[in-house]
Amino acid sequence: MDKQQIRNAYKMYLLENGKEPVSVYMLCKTIDMPESEFYGFYSSLEAVERDIWLAVFEETLQQLQADETYPQYNAQEKLLSFYFLWVSRLREDRSYFLLQRDIFTVPLIYRNKLSAFKTAFYDYISALIKEGYASTEIKERKYISDQYVHGFWVQALFVLKYWLDDTSDNFELTDAAIEKAVNLSFQLIGSNTLDSLLDFGKFIFMKK
Amino acid sequence: MKEQSNIPTGKVERAGKFVTTGLKVGTNYIKHYTRKLMDPSISKESLHQDNAADIYNTLSNLKGSALKVAQMLSMDKGMLPKAYAEKFAMSQYSAPPLSGPLVVNTFLKTLGKSPAQLFDKFDMHASNAASIGQVHRAEKNGKQLAVKIQYPGVASSVKSDLRIVKPFAMRIVGMNEVDMDKYFEEIETKLLEETDYQLELRRSMDLSAACAHIPGLLFPGYYPEYSSERIITMDWLNGLHLKEFLQTKPSQEIRNKVGQALWDFYQFQVHKLRQVHADPHPGNFLMQPDGRVGIFDFGCVKVIPEDFYENYFLLVDKEVLKDTARRHQIYINLEMLHPSDTPKEVAFFSELFQHMIDLMTLPFTQETFDFGNESYFNEVYAYMDELYNMKEIRESKVARGSSHSLYINRTYFGLYSILSDLQANIITGQHRIQQLVDGRQPE
Repeated sequence: MDKQQIRNAYKMYLLENGKEPVSVYMLCKTIDMPESEFYGFYSSLEAVERDIWLAVFEETLQQLQADETYPQYNAQEKLLSFYFLWVSRLREDRSYFLLQRDIFTVPLIYRNKLSAFKTAFYDYISALIKEGYASTEIKERKYISDQYVHGFWVQALFVLKYWLDDTSDNFELTDAAIEKAVNLSFQLIGSNTLDSLLDFGKFIFMKK
Repeated sequence: MKEQSNIPTGKVERAGKFVTTGLKVGTNYIKHYTRKLMDPSISKESLHQDNAADIYNTLSNLKGSALKVAQMLSMDKGMLPKAYAEKFAMSQYSAPPLSGPLVVNTFLKTLGKSPAQLFDKFDMHASNAASIGQVHRAEKNGKQLAVKIQYPGVASSVKSDLRIVKPFAMRIVGMNEVDMDKYFEEIETKLLEETDYQLELRRSMDLSAACAHIPGLLFPGYYPEYSSERIITMDWLNGLHLKEFLQTKPSQEIRNKVGQALWDFYQFQVHKLRQVHADPHPGNFLMQPDGRVGIFDFGCVKVIPEDFYENYFLLVDKEVLKDTARRHQIYINLEMLHPSDTPKEVAFFSELFQHMIDLMTLPFTQETFDFGNESYFNEVYAYMDELYNMKEIRESKVARGSSHSLYINRTYFGLYSILSDLQANIITGQHRIQQLVDGRQPE
């Protein structure tokens, strides 16, 4: 028994029953595992859910890092290829993730299903942003550059939402959405547009 | 080449783009009239140039079908003021490319393997852009390949794009909405066909094979195993686009050879295959130093319906044209005249058409024709201008001309304008066409 089997069992349960198992006991019953053994891997069903999101993310990263061309990409291309691969990974379990759509409707504080994934994503993006500074793709700005990570998190959620709602063949439109969203974000944090905007803002609110 | 940093996404954003253009064009008019106040000698040419630049910038940002419309418009040089035509002609060469990861993703999604796995070498930087895709260079087993990749979601944006372009195009071309509908439907069908790479691959292979025997032509081989609904792989063709080719100052003999090959290629398709490569813009041909022409991109193929073919080419026949009643019947069959037209209208339009047809079919009626003859093209353009400015035509509420003629005319316009740029002197007589159709080698 390992974590992955438990995760798969959880997904299977949800897919076949249309709702979460009511207890750890119910879940363990489907894979003939004593409940006590379950706690050796996870503390609760929520922990399994959180780990499902995290696992997709980590598998995506592993696959990217194993790729030959990935290290040669600049930060923008890295992020693009991350999203493309992430979405194609999610696709393998699309039915499961479609059932998770409620993450977009519940209030923010209950969105803890994504918390582990979010932390890992922040780490990944922070490293990517640092790389962007080095290659001058991204401009470092006092106070503001600390907020970039949050922006990218919102972008990741946007991609996820777009893909969940996408009805085009082969999810072509999601590809287009990723391309456009990433290009736009890098243009914003890279060019001088943002600086001019801030400068102008400061000027307008300046006391005469 | 500068990579495009962003493309307007949704319909709203695209529409927004057009609004901005509208505003800019408006400003250009204001600038023009202010300048004119100060300097009355100023001509409209500079205004047209400003407008064309702004419109072009908008269209090339929109990519996809809007760019296609720009290309279509640029084909009809005579219909547009010169400056528009020049600027739009730029779109025939290059539009900004998309990112590397998207290219890889397209391969993975449609062929299941990355370009690095499929090819020995694959250049991540696009070597040129097609209007709905871009071309990459690759190598496999020592063979140079060209890999054309389509942007995702093109087909789904064609319809909404056209709806936005429509009022805009009406303004430029000066047609009313009823007229436009018929043609827009035809354009829409063709554009949707162009997004179907599997259809394009089939047609490319069929038509290349059918035309392979015509002297002076060069067709790339195609690789269905490396092609999918969004990728087409073919042999890499070397050669120069028309403009660069002409800069190398090829001899008259070479230019004639190129012109003759193109002429034969089109006549054979129209008269024998009854379907034609309907996208004769200079970006689709690669001229070789020895005067051969490389032909690819069969994305836009017009299948010519039998009854349309008969009526259309009866107009080339001098004997038929002498018979007024018969001529009118042909005009009606081709929807150039309508049964509801008043006798006055019939007389007016028949005379116009007669003159236009005499002009356009002139090469067909002679044994050889010199497309370098500038006075011929000036006469054509002058007449088009005259038509364009004619009150009766602009105010005509009915569409004139069958929707089939849209692409056929465009094909001939495109061919003529390339031949004119080449200043080729070639054999155009019926005799040669007949030989081609019969499958004999022309002398």
